[in-house]
Amino acid sequence: MNKIMENIKLFFKGATDYKGKSTAMLEKEANDEMDNFILICFADNLGIPLPISYYTLELLPYLAEDIERWSGRMMDRKNIWMEKWGDYDMDP
Amino acid sequence: MMEKIVFFGGKGGVGKTTCSSAFALQSAKSGKKTLLISTDPAHSISDIFERPIGLEIVNLRENLDGLEIDSDYESEKYISGIRKNLHNILSPVIVEEINRQLDAASVSPGTQESAMFDKMIEIINEKSSEYDQIIFDTAPTGHTIRLLSLPELLGEWMESLMKKRRKALKLKQMTNNIKGDRENITESDPILETLGRRKDNMEKARKIIIDEDRLSFVFVLNAEKLPIEETKKAIKVLEKYNLKINNLIVNRILPESVQDTFWKNKKISEKKYLDEIYTTFEGKKIIKLPLLQDDMRVSNIDDMAKKFEGVFE
Repeated sequence: MNKIMENIKLFFKGATDYKGKSTAMLEKEANDEMDNFILICFADNLGIPLPISYYTLELLPYLAEDIERWSGRMMDRKNIWMEKWGDYDMDP
Repeated sequence: MMEKIVFFGGKGGVGKTTCSSAFALQSAKSGKKTLLISTDPAHSISDIFERPIGLEIVNLRENLDGLEIDSDYESEKYISGIRKNLHNILSPVIVEEINRQLDAASVSPGTQESAMFDKMIEIINEKSSEYDQIIFDTAPTGHTIRLLSLPELLGEWMESLMKKRRKALKLKQMTNNIKGDRENITESDPILETLGRRKDNMEKARKIIIDEDRLSFVFVLNAEKLPIEETKKAIKVLEKYNLKINNLIVNRILPESVQDTFWKNKKISEKKYLDEIYTTFEGKKIIKLPLLQDDMRVSNIDDMAKKFEGVFE
C-alpha cells in the first residue's frame, strides 16, 4: 500500500514538473522570437544593411524595454548557458 | 491630358531642372494648380526662379508652388518626433540609451536617402488631391530608379516584419494565458500598428507609381553619345518595374544658322545622333528644345515655358 502511495506521489510530481518545464520551454521560445524580431529590426547595428532601418527607428520607443532585457540576458553569460542547456533538456 | 505626376529624369547636366521648371510654369499658366519639387540634393530650382525655396512648400507664381526637399531637415524632423515619443512612454534611464542609437542613425548616409524617399511618398500620397499636377525634378538616373522601386521592396519588408512580430506575440500570448493573463496583446500592439500604417502608405504610393494614367516619366537627353546610352539603359530598367517612359526631350539643339567649321561639324554630328534617337526610341514622343544663348533665369523662363505650349495636351 505504501509503495502504491509513493508511486502515485511520484507520478503527480512528474506530471506537475512536466507542466513547469513546458511552460518554461514556451516562455523561452517566446523570448527567442522577440529577440529575433529585435535583431531583424536593428541588424544595422551589427553591420548587416537593412533597407527598412529608417522605419524601424520609430519602433524604438516601443521596443526599448525589450531591448534592455535582451541586452541584459546577452551580458549575463551564465544565463545564456542555462538557456542553451535547457535546449538539450539538461539541468545545469 | 497629361498625367498627374510627372518625373523628369536624365543624365546629370542635360538640363532636367531647366526643362522641368519651364514645363511646370507652362502647366501653371494653362490653369492647373502645379507643384514643382526638386529631389536633387544639389537644388537649383531656387536659382532659376531667383528666390529662396525652403523646407516647406512656397508659392512661386500664380498656380505654381515649389519645394526643394531637404533630406537633413526631413530626417531631423522624423528623429526628433521619435525622441518626443520616447519621453512619453519610457523611463529616463532607457531614454538615454535609445537616444544614443538615434544619434548614430541621424548621421548615417542611409538615413538621408530614406528621408528623401519618405518625403516623396508623403507628397505622392497626400498632395495628389490638392494639386492638378505634381512635377518632380529628380537627381540623376540611378538614384531615381532606386527611389521608384523602393515602395515595392519596402512594402514586402514591412510585411515580413509584421509576420515575425505576430508570431512572437502569439507565443507571448500563450505564455501569458498560462499565467492567467488573457489580454489580447496582438490587437493593441503599437509596433504592428506602426508597421501596418507604413505598409499601407507604401502600397498606396506603389499603386500610384505603377498607374500609367497617373504617373509618367519624361526623360531629358542631349543629342550626344552618353546621354543616349544612359537613356536606353534607364528605359530598360524602368520597364522592369513596369514604369513606361513615353516622352523624351532632346535639349540643347543647335541653331540651323551656325557658321564656322567647328559648329558646322558639331551640327552634323548632332544630326547623326538625332537620327539615332528617332530610330532607337521609335514610338515615343520626342520634343526638341533649342540651346539657349543665356542661362535660364526668371527673365527668360516664360519664353522657355512657351515651348511646352500644347506639347503635352
